[in-house]
Amino acid sequence: MRKQSVQWFVFILLAIVTLAGCSSDASESGSDSGSGVSQELTYATTSDVVGLSPIDTNDSVSSAVIEQVYETLFVRDPETMEIKPRLAESYETPDDTTWVIKLKEGIKFHDGTPFNAEAVKYTFDQFMSEERAAPRASLLEPVESVEVRDEYTVVIKTKEPYGPLLAALSHTNASIVSPKADKGGDLNQNPVGTGPFVFEEWVQGSHVTLSKNEDYWQGAPQLEKVTMKVVPEYSTAVSMMQTGEVQFIDAIPTEQLPRIESLKDVEVQKREGTPVYYLGFNMNKEPFNDINFRKAVSHAINREAYVKQLNGLGTKNESIIGPKVFGYDKGASDAGYSYDPEKAKQIIEENGFEGQQITLLAANRESYMKMAEIVQAQLSEVGLNVEIETMEWGTFLDTTAEGNFQMTFLGWSNSTADGSELLYPNLHSDNIGSSNRMGYNNSEFDKLVDQSRVTVDQEVRKQKLMEANLMAIKDAVWIPMHHGVVTAAYNKSVKGLQIDPTGQWSLYNVHIE
Amino acid sequence: MVGLIVKRFLQLLLLLFGISFLVFMSMHIAPGDPATVIGGPTATESDLEAIREELGLNRPVLVQYVDYIRGVVQGDLGYSFQNNQSVTEAIMTRFPQTLNLAVASMIVAILIGVPAGIISAIKQNSWFDFSSTTIALAGISIPNFWLGAMLILIFSVQLQWLPVGGLSAPFWTIEGIKQLILPAITLGTASAAMIARMSRSAMLEVIRADYIRTAKAKGVKAWSVIWVHALRNAMIPVITVIGLNFGFLLGGTIITEQVFAINGVGRLMIDAIAARDFPVVQGTVLLVATLFVVVNLIVDIVYALIDPRISYD
Repeated sequence: MRKQSVQWFVFILLAIVTLAGCSSDASESGSDSGSGVSQELTYATTSDVVGLSPIDTNDSVSSAVIEQVYETLFVRDPETMEIKPRLAESYETPDDTTWVIKLKEGIKFHDGTPFNAEAVKYTFDQFMSEERAAPRASLLEPVESVEVRDEYTVVIKTKEPYGPLLAALSHTNASIVSPKADKGGDLNQNPVGTGPFVFEEWVQGSHVTLSKNEDYWQGAPQLEKVTMKVVPEYSTAVSMMQTGEVQFIDAIPTEQLPRIESLKDVEVQKREGTPVYYLGFNMNKEPFNDINFRKAVSHAINREAYVKQLNGLGTKNESIIGPKVFGYDKGASDAGYSYDPEKAKQIIEENGFEGQQITLLAANRESYMKMAEIVQAQLSEVGLNVEIETMEWGTFLDTTAEGNFQMTFLGWSNSTADGSELLYPNLHSDNIGSSNRMGYNNSEFDKLVDQSRVTVDQEVRKQKLMEANLMAIKDAVWIPMHHGVVTAAYNKSVKGLQIDPTGQWSLYNVHIE
Repeated sequence: MVGLIVKRFLQLLLLLFGISFLVFMSMHIAPGDPATVIGGPTATESDLEAIREELGLNRPVLVQYVDYIRGVVQGDLGYSFQNNQSVTEAIMTRFPQTLNLAVASMIVAILIGVPAGIISAIKQNSWFDFSSTTIALAGISIPNFWLGAMLILIFSVQLQWLPVGGLSAPFWTIEGIKQLILPAITLGTASAAMIARMSRSAMLEVIRADYIRTAKAKGVKAWSVIWVHALRNAMIPVITVIGLNFGFLLGGTIITEQVFAINGVGRLMIDAIAARDFPVVQGTVLLVATLFVVVNLIVDIVYALIDPRISYD
């Protein structure tokens, strides 16, 4: 017994000492490009992809990988925010409900299947099929039919004029998939698109690996290999940036920003983005359905001070449609009920809201808890009595969809960067009981949003959205807390990375120096 | 002994049946609908209805349960709501990582805990005893996530001796062992502390016993008295603690797995709970429960082997 224990003890001790002596560099290897620098990039995400089929998923982590493997017909230019063709060559609209889209020729999916009108029709038919139950099916809900005119021309007919169609077609979830791969297997496990990177493997819960598409139609990317690594703790991911196990992370939480900015080999990119975070009122409950009450709350919240503590990861703007979203107008930036505690007190007094008991519901994720604490403090100052209730995300989604709350915080990523896709799901009365969680019901507003959707003329659409936006701001149904700033942090050797205002990024132009 | 194993096995079946029922029902009663989580905030009511239909969630709960149990009996734990992967497969690919971690932590815990406890007992009230009991108390009190983060900052980021996370390499390779060290220390510390305290008190009791005095009196060498005569008897309560701890370690790897980005069963379970992925939650809970019961059974058997006075017949 004794001899054995001592032997074990010595063995383990020796093992630890020996291992500690080994440098961790030994494990690093990689295929080198001509310059001698390994063109491999590893990025970390805090959760795993749900699946790799654009049709069957709806989360940002999956979208980030899908963006590298698949492509959409149209794409929004990250600089000008204009929509331009990608897999499409051009389009025309002979009438308000018909879109004739010419496709680029000579492109092949990773499995060799030709990209053509058949593939587009197949993808959209699957996307809209009831059986498939695509989570973002609502994007193409107004589409009546997708027809093949010839090998490289598709005709999309909509039930009524549908203005945001191009925005919907540039959404990651509307990426075109290889019909052969989808029929023969599970795209969630084996994605096949036309994008610059080819899927290699997905070890669930651990990583996804992609490799360069040598035959990419715009020329092969410089990166040889891309690995998405699941690292649930953001602080662990930052440590990995420091040790070089990871070269790139995005969506930096406010509290991690100072640590990341202090790292000398790390570049931080911040960019005004499309997400909006807001405080919303349940319009079916007293006194939250009273415009005076909402005005008082709005006057009581010092958004300037709130935004300051975000370390630059948010901007103050009273508009619901943010500056990076189609339909924004500068005039809306201060159209809300600005910070004025005296006015708030006055309204509260005049309407007898003093001591009003409020339960502020906050999901225990992102910055919602912090928002709740700050708003609680500020509302207490004007004489309201605020309690915070926190909830886990799944429960929160259910509770708010059922309308069991008074005031709550939520965000909207605006991934199509189109105002119709913000106002329609969230505030149009069609969606009360599901995505219109606040139960906002204003027929005049509905009409404007409808017009913004059914008009194909983009100028008219913009005008309608601006009017609808102002109406919702004046109704104070949402009080925007801040508009998101999208972020990425990467090793200084990583060049050419550019994040979109939607928080998405492409690795096509990235290389390592 | 055979009788014991058979009896325990039957108890296990009954227990698992009960657990499966409780977990199944509590997931369905708990707030949060899998369809709303899958659909996200953008889903419309018709989207949600379609998702529910596809997952079979709009059938009566009891019908769903009976269907589920029918599958389980045939070794089929169902399919993930989120990505349609087989739950059995999902668990099987992750279980080795959790097992590696739990075993490595147990080794760390025993290697530190048992000798520390014994030396403390032999040298009661010495500086060693004092400092080891203090460290043991600290070890029990330190939260896992803090210890893990500190170890990463010191040994990975500052000293760069060990990798930050992941158990990507097989455990028998040098890289694999290096990846295991920090998580094993993080997870094993609390157990080491508990084992040290238990070993100390058990040993203190035994070395005061008559037969130890007799052994000393007849001139048996000091080390032989401790390691041969005393230790074997002192080990019985220690083995209980080790067994129980191992059960906890297998089920309690969640935080360590999160901090060190280890792709184990604990993370599978916590992600599944957040996503309301019922089949995965049920599968992982059943696994942890089974392991816990099996480890306890093994402890009982080891008792009988180590102490001839214990018999189950």
